[in-house]
Amino acid sequence: MSGAGPGSQSPRAPAPTPSAAIPGTHPTNGLDDTVHQRHRLGILTITAEAGAEFGYLRGALGLTPGNLSRHLTVLEEAGLVKVEKGYKGRRPRTWVRITGSGRAALAAELATLTELVRRHGGPQAD
Amino acid sequence: MAGDQGQEDSPPAAAETGPPGGPVPLLADLARLRRQTRAARHAYWFPLLLFGLLTCGAAPLYVAAAAPPASGARAFGSAPILLGGTPFGTSSFYIGWYWAVALVGGYLLTVAWYRWHARRAGVRTPARGYLITGVVLTAVVLVVPPLTRWVPGLALIWLPFGDVWIRGTLAFLFIAVGLWVLARAERSRALAVIALIYTGAALLASLYNVENILFRLGWNPGRSAVAWQLTVLPNVLLPAAILLVAGCGAFVAQRARRSTA
Repeated sequence: MSGAGPGSQSPRAPAPTPSAAIPGTHPTNGLDDTVHQRHRLGILTITAEAGAEFGYLRGALGLTPGNLSRHLTVLEEAGLVKVEKGYKGRRPRTWVRITGSGRAALAAELATLTELVRRHGGPQAD
Repeated sequence: MAGDQGQEDSPPAAAETGPPGGPVPLLADLARLRRQTRAARHAYWFPLLLFGLLTCGAAPLYVAAAAPPASGARAFGSAPILLGGTPFGTSSFYIGWYWAVALVGGYLLTVAWYRWHARRAGVRTPARGYLITGVVLTAVVLVVPPLTRWVPGLALIWLPFGDVWIRGTLAFLFIAVGLWVLARAERSRALAVIALIYTGAALLASLYNVENILFRLGWNPGRSAVAWQLTVLPNVLLPAAILLVAGCGAFVAQRARRSTA
């Protein structure tokens, strides 16, 4: 995965509104800057499936620890994920789970992307 | 929704066809991540094997309970009747308490397994709902019959459903409920299919003498009393076999999927 730097997006507005659902607006208007960033979308997708440990997210997304931390900070500040820090023995373990608004934001983003694909005929979409 | 099972098998064919950075490869990438995560967290082979083995462990008790009650034997007042059933005399006491301990122990071991697996795999399945459902169901069937002495109205809750527990196989249905809860928690269609098949077998074992099917197929247990006691085994071993076969299959499939992921 590749994408913009983790700190390049400002925290998102609280309520995601998929413009795909609003007649007359282009689906891209519904893309949320915080969620749309490729790696953050990946984090939300994984945590929507299951609570995930920091190391798992790092491996699955191919990110450095610092990069992943910054993406998580953006998502946590936006209230989309919850980060729980703990220890297993002496080793620190950080678990990430998605929040209710995180799930809603991910659903809105996926709906928007799907609508984009539908409008522009799949493979030709940009 | 991201976690919907319907998206589990999103066609990856479109993944490589869109321009880089476009929505098509992005959606395909997300579907891949979802599949990968789901494969990493699936760990249901353990409860399948565990409850399969616990069911096999109960088999000698069912055989013993099928013996005609010895003269002078008397029923234990504290037998968990809903888990032990009633038709076999005093030995159903042991079946009832076996299942009370085995169910709760099985639920606790399963939750411990999921915690261990989460630490190892880095993704976790919420198993608390499974534990709560199982323990509450078990507690209810242990508590309600004794309470009926003081609150006769409670009999309406369990007496009309005698067909389901009279053979001492209600625990099979509780295991089935647990599998459905786990299938939902793991978002696994395969486990839902296993739960469906197992529920069918558990209902059959609870409502019917499975050995009758074998008699029709030509099985003749012989004339001895001991051989006739063994005829209760199909009711126990059919659900156990389903759990064991499904558990072994899931173990092999999950290992193979993880090594290719």
